[in-house]
Amino acid sequence: MSTTTGKPPGASQEELSRLEEHWGERPSLRAWFSTVDHKKIGRRYIVTAALFFLFAGISALLMRTQLATPESGILSPQEYNQLFTMHGTSMIFLFATPMFFGLGNFLVPLMIGSRDMAFPRLNAFGYWVFLFAGLFMWVSVPFGSAPSAGWFNYAPLTNLKFEPGLAIDVYNLGLLFLGISTTVGAINFIVTALKLRAPGMSLNRVPLFVWAIVATSFMVVFALPALNLDNLLLFLDRRFDTHFFDPSAGGNVLLWQHLFWIFGHPDVYIIVMPGLGIVSAVLPAFTRRGVVAYPLVVLAIVSISILSFGVWAHHMFATGLPQLSYSFFSAASTIITIPSGIQFFAWLSTMALGRLVIKVPLLFLIGFLVTFLIGGLTGAMFALTAFDQQVTDSYFVVAHFHYVLLGGAVFPMLAGLYYWLPKVTGRMYHEGLGRWAFWLVLAGMQLTFFPMHLYGLFGMPRRVYTYRGDLGWDAGNLIATIGAYVLATGLLLVLIGVVHAIRRGRPAPNDPWGGDTLEWTTASPPESYNFPVLPQVHSLHPTWDERTAESTGARASQDRILSEGRRTLFTSELDARYERAVEMAESSLIPLVLAFWLLIFFISMLFSWWLVAGVAAAAVVVTMGVWLWPSRRPAERAG
Amino acid sequence: MGTQVGPRARLFGGLLLWYGVLGGAVAWAVHLMAAWSMDELACAAGSAEISALPLWQAVGLAVIIPALAAAGALAVAVLAWTRMGQAQRSGASDNAYGRTRLLAAVGIWANLFFLSIIVLGGVALLVLPVCQR
Amino acid sequence: MTDRGGIVAAATGAEALSTEEPVGRSTGWWGMVLFVATESTFFACLLGSYYYLRFQVGPRWPPDGIGNPELVRPLIMTGLLLFSSVPLFWGVRGIRYGRRWRLRAGLLATMVLVVTFLTVQATEYVDDLRTLTPTTDVYGSLYYLITGFHSVHVLGGLAFVGWLLAASLGNRFDPQHYDRVRNAGIFWVFLDVVWVAVLFTIYLSPRL
Repeated sequence: MSTTTGKPPGASQEELSRLEEHWGERPSLRAWFSTVDHKKIGRRYIVTAALFFLFAGISALLMRTQLATPESGILSPQEYNQLFTMHGTSMIFLFATPMFFGLGNFLVPLMIGSRDMAFPRLNAFGYWVFLFAGLFMWVSVPFGSAPSAGWFNYAPLTNLKFEPGLAIDVYNLGLLFLGISTTVGAINFIVTALKLRAPGMSLNRVPLFVWAIVATSFMVVFALPALNLDNLLLFLDRRFDTHFFDPSAGGNVLLWQHLFWIFGHPDVYIIVMPGLGIVSAVLPAFTRRGVVAYPLVVLAIVSISILSFGVWAHHMFATGLPQLSYSFFSAASTIITIPSGIQFFAWLSTMALGRLVIKVPLLFLIGFLVTFLIGGLTGAMFALTAFDQQVTDSYFVVAHFHYVLLGGAVFPMLAGLYYWLPKVTGRMYHEGLGRWAFWLVLAGMQLTFFPMHLYGLFGMPRRVYTYRGDLGWDAGNLIATIGAYVLATGLLLVLIGVVHAIRRGRPAPNDPWGGDTLEWTTASPPESYNFPVLPQVHSLHPTWDERTAESTGARASQDRILSEGRRTLFTSELDARYERAVEMAESSLIPLVLAFWLLIFFISMLFSWWLVAGVAAAAVVVTMGVWLWPSRRPAERAG
Repeated sequence: MGTQVGPRARLFGGLLLWYGVLGGAVAWAVHLMAAWSMDELACAAGSAEISALPLWQAVGLAVIIPALAAAGALAVAVLAWTRMGQAQRSGASDNAYGRTRLLAAVGIWANLFFLSIIVLGGVALLVLPVCQR
Repeated sequence: MTDRGGIVAAATGAEALSTEEPVGRSTGWWGMVLFVATESTFFACLLGSYYYLRFQVGPRWPPDGIGNPELVRPLIMTGLLLFSSVPLFWGVRGIRYGRRWRLRAGLLATMVLVVTFLTVQATEYVDDLRTLTPTTDVYGSLYYLITGFHSVHVLGGLAFVGWLLAASLGNRFDPQHYDRVRNAGIFWVFLDVVWVAVLFTIYLSPRL
């Protein structure tokens, strides 16, 4: 039965070519715009998010250059305001979440043993909307009308009276537009993880990365509406003279903050949680054992995602509300550190009990542990109301959340980048180049943000475009600026490493690391149909498990090969019992068309072209009608 | 226990497990919304009463009732966890038991967290005057 | 009593506790449920904002010079919207047994009721706008945004049902394929529940 290596003997050559016929795409311009392949969409998400990371990173470098010395005049205050707003907004909304959604898109179907996402066309639609919304926001920069009120855009600063022009409307509409993409992406992840897992992958065998992505998606589903409402209310206030944030007519500016942080605190975890998932996914391969205390890590993921909704008022300890009502939030803010700690100790124990294999991904994980720990410690300090009131809006806060976000999101992302690069591109990266990148990123990161703790405590407020020379902040600022350039050099080396791998890297085997999850049983890069035979899963570490391997080899059965069409499997929600084979959607241009009409809609809303907006809205409805029009199916495919 | 488990008992059992897993979380969400909004809004309106009830008693109810609900969920989760342990020790190999045991373990810990948050809120109520700013 | 005790014992046994629930739903069902969940959260935030702003304004609500909202037409609208679910669910049940005419009749009846609902809403707005506009004060802003946003969803529901009717006239549904019809049912439950919350908040709570 043995054929060439990498081709499991489970499916015959004839079946493989039938699968390729149903799932493969011949390269053409039309195919490029119409593809619904989750791997291609995942790659696009990653590349596009990296582009916005570049824009936001350049903004940061410009700001650091301005702040290197006291009273320098490289940037005007207006330019500085726009840059820090776009930096924050892009890093949060256009880089972190889409980057993880891209990785999730590529990996979730592979990890759960499926051939695509649950809604392939919705997936393509989500990407196009993300791209258009990101461009919608960034195009405002060359016109000098980029949002400039900080990434959390507080009213009343953003009321029309104080911020005339279109800048704030760009923020409101851009985030509403982007919200569509994030919401449909999240729903898609949840449904995929519930219904498309390989038979046998009951909830106690789901990889931790998938748990993390699903928990993130649930947070998106329940947190994003608050942000959307906030943006809608502000847009109505500015454009249609309503009074939601207008105290002179009964409105209240604190409403903005409440709604924003109902979203905003879960959003911190929306950003960090997939990163923690990556840590749990990468660690087994480099410690040669599963993550210790799987149930407790699942517990941590689930309880953090719920608790994150109950801590929002701690961003507003400085706003003067009754002490008792704070205490309800303070309790939650304090307890939420326990599950975070559980996860942390689970990783440490895994490393202590395992056999470490020092490669670049593991180095980035160690960088993550150190950096995130510092961020977590300063975070716990904020749970104390008195301390929080002392340092609110100082550089201490800036230092804190950069440790959390770079530590919790960017380091795991880079670990994941090196870890999955062979799977995504089919090429190995250069180890030496990777190590240089790691040390530069780590050193640059600490050099940039550690001094901020100090000059924050010394009183430097955030978001000032310059400062006087006699306040004792000069040395710290200069070090931070040097650090920023070191960090940028390190990230440049990461990029060079990726390009080098694609151009010159040696071909990657299917499983270069001896990983434990199902993506390592596929080819590198995976075939268009992912799995020749959908596996029957027998344990939490299917790739390390003989019986799972047999299920795609000698024990392969027709009901898991499914070469008679573009098909994959539905299994039951909790125990992943075999339910039925289903036909998946084929490539289509409609998602792009729908996203395009939405773009027209939002552009015309921005410029108050009401007639065009009406036409675009009608076009959106018609396009959706065409998209979802039920096909007339042959009777034998029923069920 | 009978060998035949009827569909109603099955449905009830399946839902009961979810109460054991998520009951504490839901109880805490209700507690937080009720206690916080009563306190903040009543104090903002300048009164220390909700209808005829003194505010501290109203907030107290918003602590005690959810705390009881969370404690109930904790008991259910412990029950489910031990039942699955017994079933697995008696040699049942059905993976549904493994899955249920995982959910029950998650439930036990989660309910402990949420119960302690609710109790901490109750402690604050005893210590702080309701409308002190 | 012993029978009930038996059920409790059986329901807390290992076998019953490990029953899969939920189970066997389609991806379309899950997608719709999650969509409705996120939309409901949006309305919850919207109504929460109403109470938040209301209680900060002070004891007089609606504020000075604005009377309580009228109650007759909203109650008629409540009847119309809740009753519109009946033919819809009757039609959904019909297609499960392959009765296409029943689905079509049910969808059509739902559409008629919903159009009536929206018409009554429009007449109410026409009367209200004489004394209150969205720009009058925060009460007006909230009143029109909340009712209007719900009406937009009803309008979407109307388009959805009309689209289903067109598809069912083309014989696109049968007992194996009626996911989209059933999803309309889920959406309708959402519309009804949100409307009841809106009714309570906007029309009833100022009278309490």
